[in-house]
Amino acid sequence: MAPKKAKKATKATKKTVQATTADNAYRVAKIYKSPKTVGVETLPSEYVRADLEFIGVEHAGASYEARVYVNNPSADANTQPTAGNGYAGSFYVFGHGGCFGDAGHCDIHAPRDQFDPRRSHPLEPIKKIVDATDVIKSAASTGSSINVTVVPVVTSWTELVDTDDVLKFDHINLVTYY
Amino acid sequence: MASLTVRKNVDNLDASELKALRAGYAKAQTIMDNRGYNHYAGLHGIPNWYCWHHSHVQGSNVNANLFLPWHRAYLLYFEKAIRDQSPAIPKVGLPWWNWSSAQSHITGVPTAFSTATVGGQPNPLYRAKIVAPTATPPINRMTRRFPGNPAALPTATQVNNLLNLNQFTDFTNQLENIHDGIHGWTGGNNGTVGGDMGSVATAAWDPIFWSHHCMIDRLWYLWQLRHGVNNITPSLLPMVLTPFGLKVQDVLSTNALGYTYAVSFIQIGRVLTTPVIS
Repeated sequence: MAPKKAKKATKATKKTVQATTADNAYRVAKIYKSPKTVGVETLPSEYVRADLEFIGVEHAGASYEARVYVNNPSADANTQPTAGNGYAGSFYVFGHGGCFGDAGHCDIHAPRDQFDPRRSHPLEPIKKIVDATDVIKSAASTGSSINVTVVPVVTSWTELVDTDDVLKFDHINLVTYY
Repeated sequence: MASLTVRKNVDNLDASELKALRAGYAKAQTIMDNRGYNHYAGLHGIPNWYCWHHSHVQGSNVNANLFLPWHRAYLLYFEKAIRDQSPAIPKVGLPWWNWSSAQSHITGVPTAFSTATVGGQPNPLYRAKIVAPTATPPINRMTRRFPGNPAALPTATQVNNLLNLNQFTDFTNQLENIHDGIHGWTGGNNGTVGGDMGSVATAAWDPIFWSHHCMIDRLWYLWQLRHGVNNITPSLLPMVLTPFGLKVQDVLSTNALGYTYAVSFIQIGRVLTTPVIS
C-alpha cells in the first residue's frame, strides 16, 4: 500500500530561533509533541526491542536531525541527549533542498496504472526508525504512560526552503519485537 | 590478470597517489560532456534525479530499498571516469573518508578535501563548479561547504553496532540514517544558506561526496564479510540500477566489480619468475 500523504506534525510549540545548541549555526524548527499518550499496559510483558517508527516523513526541504525524547514534553534544543532526559535517539533527514524543476516537478503522483514500470516519485514520504528500547523499557518501568517529543535541528538548507516548519510526518508507530 | 583496484583511506594515500587523484578530478572537472565531472554529479540530483534513497515502489517490487546497490554502481562508474583522466601510475581508486575515526573527530573533513589550494592551484577536492542550466533557477557557481562540529560525527562504537546487525533491511535503514546525518553535517550552513552536501539536489558536486559514499560502500562491504555477500532481500536481485545497466545481483561482490577496500596496501615484492612446482 502506498504511503498516505503526509500531514503536518500536530503541535508546533516553538518558532524558529537561531540555534542554542553546541552546533551554533544550526536552527531549531517547530517541535512536535505527541497529542496523546500510550498506556504502558498496552505493551507486551516481554520484548527485546522497541522501535519508534515515524511514518510518512516528508523530505522535500531542508536537512535536519530529529532528536526523539520519550516522556520529556519540555525537551528542546538545549536538552542534553541523554537517557536520563528520555533521549531515545535521532533520525536524520537528507532533504532534497526544494524544487529545482518546472511547475509540477515535485508534485507527488501515483503510478499511471498497474503496468507503470517507473519507480514511485522520489518525494514519496519515507519511514524513519529509532531503536528506543532502553528508554521505552525505562518509561514502562517507572510510569504509566508514554509520550513522544521530537526536536528538529536544521543543519543545512537552500534558498528555496523553509527552515521553521520542517518536521512533517503522518504518524508514529511503537513496534516491539521478541 | 588484471589486479583489483584498492580503495584506501584518504588519510593513507601517499603524495603520489593524492597527486594522481587530484589530477583525475581536476581534468574531469574541465570536461562538460558525458565523460566529465559535471555529467556524473548531475546523475544524482539535478537535473537527472536517478539517485535512490529510502524505499520506493517499482513494478511489482514493494518497498524496494536500493540505496546501497545503486550507490555502489554509481561510485564504480564515477571511479572509471576519474581514472580515465588520471595518470595510469599510480593506480588510485576512490578513497574513503572514515568520518568515525579519532582523526575525523578532530579535523572533521580530511585535509585532502579541506585545503583550498595546493601548490598555488585550486584544490579540485575542495570544491567544484555546478553547471545546471536547466534547473529552476539555473545554477552556475562553485560548491559551498560549511561542516559542523567534528565531535558530532558518528563514533566507531556506532559503526560497530551497525555492523553487528544481522538483517539486511535493518542494516541498510540504519546505515542510511547515519549517511543522511553526515550529509547535513558536511553541508552545514553559514547562518544564511546551507552547503551543497546538505541537499540531494546538489550533493554530488561536492568532491567529498564520493569519499563519503565510499565509506558507506565500505561499511556494506564489511557487513557482507560478516553476514554474507549474498545476504540481501531476494526480490531486489533482478532490479536494474538505472542508468547504469547493472542489476542488484551484479553489484553484490566488490571483487567481481574489480575493487576491494584496505586499511593499508603494501607491495612487499614481485615474483619475477614463475615458480616451478614438481
